[in-house]
Amino acid sequence: MIGPALRELVSYRDLIHELVVRALKVRYRRSAIGFLWTMLHPLIMMLALTAVFSQIFRFQVEHYAVYALAGISFWQFFSQTVTSCLHSLRGNAGLLTKLPVPKAVFPIATVLSGLLNLVFALVPLLAIAVATGPPLSGALAFLPVSILIAGVFTLGAGLLLAPLAVIFSDTVEVVSILLTLLMYVTPVFYPRAIVPEHFRWIVRLNPLAAVLEVFRAPLVDRALPATTDLAIATASAVILLALGSWVFTITSRRLVLYL
Amino acid sequence: MNPVADLIRLEAVSMKYRLAKQRQPSLKQYALHWLRGALVYEDLWALSNVSLRIGRGESVGIIGRNGAGKSTLLKVISRVIAPTRGRVDVGGRVVPVLGLGAGLDMELSGLENIYLNAMVLGRSRREIKAACDEIVTASGLGDFIMSPLRNYSAGMVARLAFSVATAWTPEILILDEVLTVGDASFVERCHQHLQRFRESGTTVLVVSHLPAEIRESCQRCIWIDAGTIRQDGATDDVLESYARFNEARRASILVRA
Repeated sequence: MIGPALRELVSYRDLIHELVVRALKVRYRRSAIGFLWTMLHPLIMMLALTAVFSQIFRFQVEHYAVYALAGISFWQFFSQTVTSCLHSLRGNAGLLTKLPVPKAVFPIATVLSGLLNLVFALVPLLAIAVATGPPLSGALAFLPVSILIAGVFTLGAGLLLAPLAVIFSDTVEVVSILLTLLMYVTPVFYPRAIVPEHFRWIVRLNPLAAVLEVFRAPLVDRALPATTDLAIATASAVILLALGSWVFTITSRRLVLYL
Repeated sequence: MNPVADLIRLEAVSMKYRLAKQRQPSLKQYALHWLRGALVYEDLWALSNVSLRIGRGESVGIIGRNGAGKSTLLKVISRVIAPTRGRVDVGGRVVPVLGLGAGLDMELSGLENIYLNAMVLGRSRREIKAACDEIVTASGLGDFIMSPLRNYSAGMVARLAFSVATAWTPEILILDEVLTVGDASFVERCHQHLQRFRESGTTVLVVSHLPAEIRESCQRCIWIDAGTIRQDGATDDVLESYARFNEARRASILVRA
């Protein structure tokens, strides 16, 4: 069942490419300084968080600015991409109800453009990492692998949730609440160490936390990610993608009836 | 009946739409109803036990009232939806031209839309590049090709979409109420295109509730009513019974009133 579906997707690769380019154009062409605008939001968040954590809470974290910015950039990628995936099928209903386009094209293009945005977000991130900390190490070469794991994980989540959003109209609201909760149990802007010992299992059970640590280690610690984090992140990404693909495949036969 | 190989073959195809008695478009309501064990569905058979064969190069008209199952039949043939029961064999690439403009983006220019629309139809970038000039010429849009579609008139959008859909000779072309938009010269050009396709072996399905349009372009006609094939045969015969049926229905409504 997966084999022919994959082959069909490959034959539509030019369409996927076109959809990604279109998404990026919409995001960056609208205003002359579109690129700056998208970078401004995480940077302002970073400044605010740095002020709050290091000045008000007097919490000393090494390289907190980079730590926070890496967390915010990652979280924005994950939450925005999952949310766009929820809209990706419904938003193309006109097309999907009329033409035999493989439906997975839309969530895949959404995740790819999200990944490109994450890569663009590395520009200010690396600049601040260089400006505020010790020199970057060779561990940075691991970053593409981290981004790949994040992409696989997010695609799995997107494929799992996109059909649900077609069938149930309140999926978007439910997912946005779940994302908010997920953000607080993921060390996005707080360091893992401040979580009290008896609550730490929550963070440990959260696979997204591992995916985030794998992304953050080369940037903030200038080191390769911890083996346990890497193992949890990789395994959960693969399992989530398999689960998402399975749900997407079995629902996609009937999905058009709900559009 | 057909000396040529069948290109489209449907065997006992049925399509069921499951309508929930309680509308449960949300997770919350679904969960509540599920907990109470009160999920009741009403089945609506949009197609029931439809079998038909259409050969290569045939032009077939499909006629019927609104809600008779015409669109469902076309969606099954173009593989947009899978039927609940039955077998569907379609031996070629289907290019549906439905209502014209599916997959067009009003914010993008005509040229960008040519690429997007052709890719949605499964064409590769290389194929489109090779055919692009021809498509632009065929659309007759001239310099407008560089401006966004929101500046186009409905007729211009139709011309663009039709030029893309017909740039490559399709194996199966589905025209769903297409020729009702556009001016006389556009319709004239559409007919020329159709003629050319027919000569090169394209199977054309024309869907309409206007008998005149089908009479002009099809020798065979299928009349669909309440999800079943009411009649399948020579266009003139089928259109005649369809007209008689409609008249009788109109008369009975008048009597009741």
